[in-house]
Amino acid sequence: MDDEASSGGIHRLYPFLYADRAAQSTHPDLARDEGGTGHGHQGPTAARHVNRSTEAKAAEIVRLREQVAELHADRLAQCAEAMAARFAAGGRLFTFGNGGSSTDAQEVATAYLHPLYGRPLPALSLTSDIALVTALSNDVGFDVVFARQIAALGRPGDIAVGLSTSGGSSNLVQAFEEAWGRGMLTVGLAGYQGGRLAELEELDVLDYLFVVPSSSVHRIQEAQTTIYHVLWEVTQHVLGAVPAGG
Amino acid sequence: MPVTSTTRLAVSEAFSRREAAGGRLAEESERIAQACRDMAARFQRGGKLIVFGNGGAGTDASHVAVEFMHPVIVGKRALPAMALGNDAATVTGVGTREGFDEIFAYQVRHWADPADMALGISPDGSCTNVLRGLEAAHELGLFTMGLVGADGGAIARSPAVGHVLIAGSSDPAVVKEIHVTVYHVLWELVHVFFAQSGPVSPSREAVR
Repeated sequence: MDDEASSGGIHRLYPFLYADRAAQSTHPDLARDEGGTGHGHQGPTAARHVNRSTEAKAAEIVRLREQVAELHADRLAQCAEAMAARFAAGGRLFTFGNGGSSTDAQEVATAYLHPLYGRPLPALSLTSDIALVTALSNDVGFDVVFARQIAALGRPGDIAVGLSTSGGSSNLVQAFEEAWGRGMLTVGLAGYQGGRLAELEELDVLDYLFVVPSSSVHRIQEAQTTIYHVLWEVTQHVLGAVPAGG
Repeated sequence: MPVTSTTRLAVSEAFSRREAAGGRLAEESERIAQACRDMAARFQRGGKLIVFGNGGAGTDASHVAVEFMHPVIVGKRALPAMALGNDAATVTGVGTREGFDEIFAYQVRHWADPADMALGISPDGSCTNVLRGLEAAHELGLFTMGLVGADGGAIARSPAVGHVLIAGSSDPAVVKEIHVTVYHVLWELVHVFFAQSGPVSPSREAVR
Protein backbone atom coordinates (compact mmCIF):
# COMPACT_ATOMS: atom_id res chain seq x y z
CA MET A 1 0.00 0.00 0.00
CA ASP A 2 1.29 3.46 -0.76
CA ASP A 3 1.18 6.17 1.82
CA GLU A 4 -1.98 7.60 0.30
CA ALA A 5 -3.74 4.53 1.54
CA SER A 6 -5.06 5.85 4.79
CA SER A 7 -8.06 7.90 5.77
CA GLY A 8 -5.78 10.79 6.68
CA GLY A 9 -4.26 10.64 3.20
CA ILE A 10 -5.86 13.81 1.86
CA HIS A 11 -4.65 15.82 4.86
CA ARG A 12 -1.15 14.58 4.31
CA LEU A 13 -1.24 15.08 0.55
CA TYR A 14 -2.76 18.53 0.65
CA PRO A 15 -1.89 20.07 4.04
CA PHE A 16 -2.06 23.58 2.54
CA LEU A 17 -5.81 23.24 2.05
CA TYR A 18 -6.38 22.67 5.71
CA ALA A 19 -3.96 25.34 6.81
CA ASP A 20 -5.94 27.77 4.69
CA ARG A 21 -9.20 26.61 6.10
CA ALA A 22 -8.05 26.97 9.68
CA ALA A 23 -6.78 30.47 8.99
CA GLN A 24 -10.09 31.59 7.53
CA SER A 25 -12.21 29.89 10.23
CA THR A 26 -15.32 30.08 8.06
CA HIS A 27 -16.94 27.42 5.92
CA PRO A 28 -18.86 29.06 3.11
CA ASP A 29 -20.74 26.67 0.90
CA LEU A 30 -18.51 25.48 -1.89
CA ALA A 31 -21.59 25.20 -4.08
CA ARG A 32 -21.77 28.96 -4.52
CA ASP A 33 -18.48 28.74 -6.32
CA GLU A 34 -19.96 26.98 -9.29
CA GLY A 35 -20.12 29.16 -12.34
CA GLY A 36 -18.15 31.84 -10.60
CA THR A 37 -14.53 32.71 -11.02
CA GLY A 38 -13.54 32.79 -7.37
CA HIS A 39 -11.82 30.10 -5.41
CA GLY A 40 -14.57 29.69 -2.80
CA HIS A 41 -13.15 29.53 0.67
CA GLN A 42 -9.92 28.28 -0.73
CA GLY A 43 -7.35 31.07 -0.86
CA PRO A 44 -5.12 31.88 -3.80
CA THR A 45 -2.17 30.18 -2.11
CA ALA A 46 -4.07 26.93 -1.78
CA ALA A 47 -5.21 27.21 -5.40
CA ARG A 48 -1.60 27.54 -6.48
CA HIS A 49 -0.69 24.48 -4.45
CA VAL A 50 -3.50 22.44 -6.05
CA ASN A 51 -2.24 23.46 -9.47
CA ARG A 52 1.30 22.64 -8.51
CA SER A 53 0.30 19.18 -7.29
CA THR A 54 -1.26 18.52 -10.73
CA GLU A 55 1.93 19.73 -12.39
CA ALA A 56 3.96 17.46 -10.10
CA LYS A 57 1.85 14.46 -11.10
CA ALA A 58 2.28 15.28 -14.79
CA ALA A 59 6.04 15.41 -14.27
CA GLU A 60 5.94 12.20 -12.24
CA ILE A 61 4.26 10.16 -14.99
CA VAL A 62 6.62 11.53 -17.66
CA ARG A 63 9.58 10.42 -15.50
CA LEU A 64 7.99 7.05 -14.79
CA ARG A 65 7.50 6.41 -18.54
CA GLU A 66 11.18 7.17 -19.11
CA GLN A 67 12.09 4.72 -16.36
CA VAL A 68 9.83 2.07 -17.89
CA ALA A 69 11.48 2.62 -21.28
CA GLU A 70 14.93 2.18 -19.74
CA LEU A 71 13.92 -0.91 -17.79
CA HIS A 72 11.82 -2.72 -20.35
CA ALA A 73 12.58 -1.54 -23.91
CA ASP A 74 14.55 -4.66 -24.86
CA ARG A 75 11.99 -7.05 -23.44
CA LEU A 76 9.13 -5.09 -25.00
CA ALA A 77 10.78 -5.48 -28.39
CA GLN A 78 11.21 -9.23 -27.80
CA CYS A 79 7.63 -9.57 -26.57
CA ALA A 80 6.23 -7.70 -29.58
CA GLU A 81 8.15 -10.02 -31.92
CA ALA A 82 6.89 -13.07 -30.04
CA MET A 83 3.30 -11.80 -30.19
CA ALA A 84 3.62 -10.95 -33.89
CA ALA A 85 4.93 -14.48 -34.58
CA ARG A 86 1.95 -15.98 -32.75
CA PHE A 87 -0.55 -13.80 -34.61
CA ALA A 88 1.14 -14.60 -37.93
CA ALA A 89 0.69 -18.31 -37.18
CA GLY A 90 -3.02 -17.88 -36.39
CA GLY A 91 -2.82 -17.23 -32.67
CA ARG A 92 -5.48 -15.25 -30.81
CA LEU A 93 -5.20 -12.86 -27.88
CA PHE A 94 -7.07 -13.15 -24.59
CA THR A 95 -6.92 -10.30 -22.06
CA PHE A 96 -8.00 -10.02 -18.42
CA GLY A 97 -7.77 -7.89 -15.30
CA ASN A 98 -9.88 -6.71 -12.35
CA GLY A 99 -11.50 -3.33 -11.68
CA GLY A 100 -9.70 -0.51 -13.49
CA SER A 101 -7.43 -3.15 -15.04
CA SER A 102 -10.50 -4.85 -16.54
CA THR A 103 -11.13 -1.68 -18.51
CA ASP A 104 -7.50 -1.85 -19.66
CA ALA A 105 -8.04 -5.47 -20.68
CA GLN A 106 -11.00 -4.36 -22.79
CA GLU A 107 -8.98 -1.55 -24.31
CA VAL A 108 -6.15 -3.94 -25.21
CA ALA A 109 -8.60 -6.34 -26.88
CA THR A 110 -10.32 -3.64 -28.92
CA ALA A 111 -6.95 -2.05 -29.84
CA TYR A 112 -5.91 -5.32 -31.52
CA LEU A 113 -9.29 -6.30 -32.93
CA HIS A 114 -10.30 -2.88 -34.23
CA PRO A 115 -6.97 -1.10 -34.69
CA LEU A 116 -6.24 2.54 -35.46
CA TYR A 117 -4.28 1.32 -38.48
CA GLY A 118 -2.71 -1.90 -39.65
CA ARG A 119 -3.94 -5.43 -39.36
CA PRO A 120 -7.04 -6.31 -37.31
CA LEU A 121 -6.05 -9.23 -35.05
CA PRO A 122 -8.31 -11.62 -33.15
CA ALA A 123 -8.55 -10.53 -29.51
CA LEU A 124 -11.08 -11.06 -26.74
CA SER A 125 -11.39 -9.55 -23.28
CA LEU A 126 -12.43 -12.17 -20.73
CA THR A 127 -14.07 -9.50 -18.57
CA SER A 128 -16.81 -8.52 -21.01
CA ASP A 129 -19.24 -11.44 -20.81
CA ILE A 130 -21.10 -10.61 -17.61
CA ALA A 131 -23.19 -13.80 -17.85
CA LEU A 132 -20.02 -15.90 -17.73
CA VAL A 133 -18.28 -13.77 -15.11
CA THR A 134 -21.24 -13.88 -12.72
CA ALA A 135 -21.98 -17.56 -13.42
CA LEU A 136 -18.42 -18.65 -12.71
CA SER A 137 -18.15 -16.38 -9.64
CA ASN A 138 -21.45 -17.59 -8.23
CA ASP A 139 -21.11 -21.29 -8.99
CA VAL A 140 -17.38 -21.91 -8.64
CA GLY A 141 -15.52 -18.88 -7.32
CA PHE A 142 -14.06 -15.61 -8.45
CA ASP A 143 -10.55 -17.07 -8.62
CA VAL A 144 -11.47 -19.14 -11.67
CA VAL A 145 -13.30 -16.51 -13.76
CA PHE A 146 -10.44 -16.12 -16.22
CA ALA A 147 -8.80 -19.57 -15.92
CA ARG A 148 -12.02 -21.37 -16.86
CA GLN A 149 -12.44 -19.24 -19.95
CA ILE A 150 -8.80 -19.83 -20.95
CA ALA A 151 -9.35 -23.57 -20.45
CA ALA A 152 -12.38 -23.50 -22.76
CA LEU A 153 -11.12 -21.11 -25.43
CA GLY A 154 -7.31 -21.22 -25.31
CA ARG A 155 -5.16 -23.16 -27.79
CA PRO A 156 -1.41 -23.64 -28.05
CA GLY A 157 -0.12 -20.67 -30.01
CA ASP A 158 -2.56 -18.22 -28.43
CA ILE A 159 -1.54 -15.29 -26.24
CA ALA A 160 -2.64 -14.36 -22.69
CA VAL A 161 -2.21 -10.79 -21.47
CA GLY A 162 -3.17 -10.09 -17.85
CA LEU A 163 -3.03 -6.71 -16.11
CA SER A 164 -2.81 -6.02 -12.40
CA THR A 165 -1.50 -3.10 -10.39
CA SER A 166 -0.55 -5.14 -7.31
CA GLY A 167 0.45 -8.30 -9.15
CA GLY A 168 -1.39 -10.22 -6.46
CA SER A 169 -4.74 -11.15 -8.03
CA SER A 170 -5.47 -14.87 -7.61
CA ASN A 171 -7.64 -15.04 -10.69
CA LEU A 172 -4.74 -13.73 -12.80
CA VAL A 173 -2.34 -16.25 -11.28
CA GLN A 174 -4.72 -19.11 -12.07
CA ALA A 175 -5.35 -17.82 -15.59
CA PHE A 176 -1.61 -17.61 -16.32
CA GLU A 177 -1.04 -21.12 -14.97
CA GLU A 178 -3.82 -22.42 -17.21
CA ALA A 179 -2.49 -20.52 -20.23
CA TRP A 180 1.07 -21.71 -19.62
CA GLY A 181 -0.15 -25.30 -19.33
CA ARG A 182 -1.77 -24.96 -22.75
CA GLY A 183 1.35 -23.66 -24.45
CA MET A 184 0.15 -20.07 -24.75
CA LEU A 185 2.45 -17.05 -24.72
CA THR A 186 1.96 -15.42 -21.31
CA VAL A 187 2.42 -11.69 -20.76
CA GLY A 188 1.84 -9.91 -17.44
CA LEU A 189 1.72 -6.25 -16.45
CA ALA A 190 2.12 -5.32 -12.78
CA GLY A 191 3.23 -2.57 -10.41
CA TYR A 192 4.94 -2.31 -7.03
CA GLN A 193 7.49 -5.19 -7.06
CA GLY A 194 5.38 -7.46 -9.26
CA GLY A 195 3.78 -9.43 -6.40
CA ARG A 196 2.83 -13.02 -7.16
CA LEU A 197 3.30 -12.40 -10.86
CA ALA A 198 7.02 -11.90 -10.18
CA GLU A 199 7.06 -15.42 -8.68
CA LEU A 200 5.35 -16.74 -11.83
CA GLU A 201 8.02 -15.12 -13.94
CA GLU A 202 10.74 -16.83 -11.94
CA LEU A 203 8.96 -20.15 -12.50
CA ASP A 204 8.77 -19.38 -16.24
CA VAL A 205 4.98 -19.57 -16.09
CA LEU A 206 5.12 -15.98 -17.35
CA ASP A 207 7.14 -15.47 -20.53
CA TYR A 208 7.17 -11.70 -20.09
CA LEU A 209 6.42 -9.55 -17.05
CA PHE A 210 6.54 -5.77 -17.19
CA VAL A 211 6.65 -4.27 -13.70
CA VAL A 212 6.05 -0.53 -13.37
CA PRO A 213 8.35 0.57 -10.54
CA SER A 214 5.87 2.68 -8.58
CA SER A 215 3.66 2.33 -5.52
CA SER A 216 0.92 4.66 -6.79
CA VAL A 217 -1.97 2.70 -8.29
CA HIS A 218 -2.79 5.65 -10.52
CA ARG A 219 0.71 6.15 -11.92
CA ILE A 220 1.08 2.37 -12.40
CA GLN A 221 -2.11 2.25 -14.49
CA GLU A 222 -0.99 5.26 -16.53
CA ALA A 223 2.41 3.70 -17.31
CA GLN A 224 0.74 0.36 -18.10
CA THR A 225 -1.44 2.13 -20.67
CA THR A 226 1.73 3.27 -22.41
CA ILE A 227 3.24 -0.22 -22.20
CA TYR A 228 0.31 -1.92 -23.91
CA HIS A 229 0.01 0.81 -26.51
CA VAL A 230 3.72 0.44 -27.33
CA LEU A 231 3.32 -3.35 -27.47
CA TRP A 232 0.41 -2.99 -29.88
CA GLU A 233 2.24 -0.47 -32.04
CA VAL A 234 5.44 -2.51 -32.24
CA THR A 235 3.50 -5.74 -32.88
CA GLN A 236 1.92 -3.99 -35.88
CA HIS A 237 5.37 -2.73 -36.91
CA VAL A 238 6.77 -6.29 -36.87
CA LEU A 239 3.77 -7.45 -38.92
CA GLY A 240 4.65 -4.80 -41.50
CA ALA A 241 1.96 -2.23 -40.77
CA VAL A 242 2.73 1.45 -41.27
CA PRO A 243 0.87 4.19 -39.34
CA ALA A 244 -1.66 6.15 -41.41
CA GLY A 245 0.17 9.17 -42.77
CA GLY A 246 3.47 7.79 -41.45
CA MET B 1 15.62 -14.47 -28.23
CA PRO B 2 17.67 -11.93 -30.21
CA VAL B 3 15.53 -9.05 -31.32
CA THR B 4 15.98 -7.21 -34.59
CA SER B 5 17.35 -3.68 -34.37
CA THR B 6 14.40 -2.12 -36.18
CA THR B 7 12.00 -3.54 -33.59
CA ARG B 8 14.12 -2.16 -30.76
CA LEU B 9 14.22 1.19 -32.53
CA ALA B 10 10.44 1.17 -32.91
CA VAL B 11 10.10 0.74 -29.13
CA SER B 12 12.41 3.69 -28.42
CA GLU B 13 10.62 5.88 -30.94
CA ALA B 14 7.25 5.00 -29.45
CA PHE B 15 8.37 6.09 -25.98
CA SER B 16 10.08 9.29 -27.08
CA ARG B 17 6.96 10.39 -29.01
CA ARG B 18 5.11 10.52 -25.67
CA GLU B 19 7.36 12.85 -23.72
CA ALA B 20 6.28 16.28 -24.97
CA ALA B 21 2.56 15.55 -24.85
CA GLY B 22 2.78 14.24 -21.29
CA GLY B 23 4.56 17.36 -20.11
CA ARG B 24 1.92 19.61 -21.65
CA LEU B 25 -0.67 18.31 -19.19
CA ALA B 26 0.76 20.64 -16.55
CA GLU B 27 -0.59 23.61 -18.51
CA GLU B 28 -4.13 22.37 -17.88
CA SER B 29 -3.81 22.37 -14.09
CA GLU B 30 -5.91 25.50 -13.51
CA ARG B 31 -8.73 24.29 -15.74
CA ILE B 32 -8.68 20.88 -14.05
CA ALA B 33 -8.88 22.44 -10.58
CA GLN B 34 -11.83 24.64 -11.60
CA ALA B 35 -13.75 21.68 -12.96
CA CYS B 36 -13.06 19.64 -9.82
CA ARG B 37 -14.36 22.41 -7.56
CA ASP B 38 -17.62 22.48 -9.52
CA MET B 39 -17.88 18.70 -9.49
CA ALA B 40 -17.29 18.46 -5.74
CA ALA B 41 -20.12 20.96 -5.22
CA ARG B 42 -22.40 18.83 -7.39
CA PHE B 43 -21.52 15.67 -5.48
CA GLN B 44 -22.26 17.56 -2.24
CA ARG B 45 -25.73 18.31 -3.59
CA GLY B 46 -26.30 14.63 -4.36
CA GLY B 47 -25.36 14.73 -8.02
CA LYS B 48 -23.95 11.73 -9.85
CA LEU B 49 -21.36 11.46 -12.59
CA ILE B 50 -22.41 10.06 -15.97
CA VAL B 51 -19.53 9.10 -18.26
CA PHE B 52 -19.48 7.99 -21.89
CA GLY B 53 -17.22 7.43 -24.87
CA ASN B 54 -16.72 5.09 -27.85
CA GLY B 55 -14.29 2.23 -28.37
CA GLY B 56 -11.19 2.65 -26.20
CA ALA B 57 -12.71 5.81 -24.71
CA GLY B 58 -15.68 3.67 -23.67
CA THR B 59 -13.31 1.63 -21.51
CA ASP B 60 -12.06 4.91 -20.03
CA ALA B 61 -15.65 5.81 -19.19
CA SER B 62 -15.96 2.51 -17.31
CA HIS B 63 -12.64 3.19 -15.59
CA VAL B 64 -13.80 6.63 -14.42
CA ALA B 65 -17.03 5.15 -13.05
CA VAL B 66 -15.25 2.40 -11.10
CA GLU B 67 -12.72 4.96 -9.85
CA PHE B 68 -15.50 7.00 -8.21
CA MET B 69 -17.67 4.06 -7.13
CA HIS B 70 -14.86 1.98 -5.67
CA PRO B 71 -11.97 4.24 -4.63
CA VAL B 72 -8.50 2.68 -4.61
CA ILE B 73 -7.54 4.72 -1.57
CA VAL B 74 -8.84 3.23 1.65
CA GLY B 75 -11.15 5.56 3.54
CA LYS B 76 -12.34 7.54 0.53
CA ARG B 77 -16.10 7.49 0.21
CA ALA B 78 -17.80 6.07 -2.85
CA LEU B 79 -19.28 8.79 -5.04
CA PRO B 80 -22.10 7.91 -7.46
CA ALA B 81 -21.02 7.36 -11.05
CA MET B 82 -22.15 5.34 -14.05
CA ALA B 83 -20.72 4.54 -17.49
CA LEU B 84 -23.19 4.47 -20.38
CA GLY B 85 -21.30 2.00 -22.55
CA ASN B 86 -21.68 -0.92 -20.16
CA ASP B 87 -25.25 -1.90 -20.98
CA ALA B 88 -24.82 -3.66 -24.30
CA ALA B 89 -28.55 -4.39 -24.55
CA THR B 90 -29.46 -0.70 -24.30
CA VAL B 91 -26.55 0.47 -26.46
CA THR B 92 -27.41 -1.92 -29.30
CA GLY B 93 -31.14 -1.44 -28.74
CA VAL B 94 -31.04 2.35 -28.96
CA GLY B 95 -28.46 2.08 -31.76
CA THR B 96 -30.85 -0.03 -33.81
CA ARG B 97 -34.03 1.95 -33.21
CA GLU B 98 -33.00 5.55 -32.59
CA GLY B 99 -29.59 5.41 -34.27
CA PHE B 100 -26.03 5.17 -33.00
CA ASP B 101 -25.79 8.95 -32.57
CA GLU B 102 -28.44 8.72 -29.84
CA ILE B 103 -27.00 5.93 -27.65
CA PHE B 104 -25.68 8.28 -24.95
CA ALA B 105 -28.20 11.14 -25.27
CA TYR B 106 -31.06 8.67 -24.82
CA GLN B 107 -29.62 7.30 -21.60
CA VAL B 108 -28.78 10.79 -20.32
CA ARG B 109 -32.36 11.93 -20.90
CA HIS B 110 -33.76 8.97 -19.00
CA TRP B 111 -31.26 8.83 -16.15
CA ALA B 112 -30.01 12.33 -15.45
CA ASP B 113 -31.10 14.69 -12.68
CA PRO B 114 -30.29 18.40 -12.96
CA ALA B 115 -27.62 18.15 -10.21
CA ASP B 116 -25.70 15.50 -12.20
CA MET B 117 -22.49 15.79 -14.20
CA ALA B 118 -21.86 14.50 -17.72
CA LEU B 119 -18.33 13.65 -18.82
CA GLY B 120 -17.86 12.80 -22.49
CA ILE B 121 -14.58 11.30 -23.67
CA SER B 122 -13.53 11.52 -27.33
CA PRO B 123 -9.90 11.27 -28.51
CA ASP B 124 -10.48 13.57 -31.50
CA GLY B 125 -13.39 15.55 -30.09
CA SER B 126 -15.61 14.71 -33.03
CA CYS B 127 -17.71 11.76 -31.84
CA THR B 128 -21.28 12.74 -32.72
CA ASN B 129 -22.92 10.55 -30.10
CA VAL B 130 -20.67 11.95 -27.35
CA LEU B 131 -21.54 15.51 -28.42
CA ARG B 132 -25.25 14.59 -28.51
CA GLY B 133 -24.94 13.15 -25.00
CA LEU B 134 -23.34 16.35 -23.73
CA GLU B 135 -25.97 18.49 -25.47
CA ALA B 136 -28.79 16.47 -23.89
CA ALA B 137 -27.06 16.87 -20.52
CA HIS B 138 -26.69 20.63 -20.99
CA GLU B 139 -30.37 20.99 -21.84
CA LEU B 140 -31.24 19.32 -18.54
CA GLY B 141 -28.96 21.66 -16.57
CA LEU B 142 -26.13 19.24 -15.92
CA PHE B 143 -22.47 20.16 -15.50
CA THR B 144 -20.87 19.16 -18.80
CA MET B 145 -17.27 18.32 -19.53
CA GLY B 146 -15.46 17.07 -22.61
CA LEU B 147 -12.20 15.15 -22.33
CA VAL B 148 -10.78 15.38 -25.84
CA GLY B 149 -7.59 15.41 -27.89
CA ALA B 150 -6.22 16.66 -31.22
CA ASP B 151 -7.75 20.11 -31.87
CA GLY B 152 -10.73 19.41 -29.61
CA GLY B 153 -13.12 19.01 -32.55
CA ALA B 154 -16.82 19.84 -32.43
CA ILE B 155 -17.02 19.00 -28.74
CA ALA B 156 -14.51 21.69 -27.76
CA ARG B 157 -16.40 24.26 -29.86
CA SER B 158 -19.86 23.38 -28.59
CA PRO B 159 -21.59 25.94 -26.37
CA ALA B 160 -23.21 22.98 -24.58
CA VAL B 161 -19.87 21.88 -23.15
CA GLY B 162 -18.97 23.87 -20.04
CA HIS B 163 -15.50 22.47 -19.42
CA VAL B 164 -13.08 21.22 -22.04
CA LEU B 165 -9.77 19.51 -21.38
CA ILE B 166 -7.65 18.90 -24.48
CA ALA B 167 -4.79 16.39 -24.45
CA GLY B 168 -2.15 17.96 -26.67
CA SER B 169 -1.51 15.19 -29.20
CA SER B 170 -3.01 14.02 -32.48
CA ASP B 171 -2.11 10.37 -31.76
CA PRO B 172 -5.23 8.78 -30.23
CA ALA B 173 -3.11 6.33 -28.21
CA VAL B 174 -1.08 9.16 -26.66
CA VAL B 175 -4.28 11.15 -26.06
CA LYS B 176 -5.71 8.20 -24.16
CA GLU B 177 -2.61 7.94 -21.97
CA ILE B 178 -2.93 11.60 -21.01
CA HIS B 179 -6.64 11.15 -20.38
CA VAL B 180 -5.89 8.39 -17.86
CA THR B 181 -3.69 10.77 -15.87
CA VAL B 182 -6.29 13.54 -16.18
CA TYR B 183 -9.12 11.47 -14.77
CA HIS B 184 -6.96 10.13 -11.98
CA VAL B 185 -6.10 13.72 -11.00
CA LEU B 186 -9.75 14.65 -11.46
CA TRP B 187 -10.87 11.96 -9.04
CA GLU B 188 -8.26 12.95 -6.49
CA LEU B 189 -9.00 16.68 -6.60
CA VAL B 190 -12.76 16.11 -6.47
CA HIS B 191 -12.15 14.29 -3.20
CA VAL B 192 -9.90 17.10 -1.95
CA PHE B 193 -12.59 19.72 -2.60
CA PHE B 194 -15.36 17.41 -1.45
CA ALA B 195 -13.68 16.77 1.91
CA GLN B 196 -12.82 20.43 2.27
CA SER B 197 -16.29 21.71 1.53
CA GLY B 198 -17.91 19.95 4.53
CA PRO B 199 -19.20 19.99 7.13
CA VAL B 200 -20.89 16.64 6.62
CA SER B 201 -23.08 15.80 9.57
CA PRO B 202 -21.91 12.80 11.65
CA SER B 203 -25.28 11.08 11.30
CA ARG B 204 -25.07 11.18 7.51
CA GLU B 205 -21.55 9.85 7.68
CA ALA B 206 -22.60 7.01 9.98
CA VAL B 207 -25.17 5.51 7.63
CA ARG B 208 -22.60 4.93 4.89
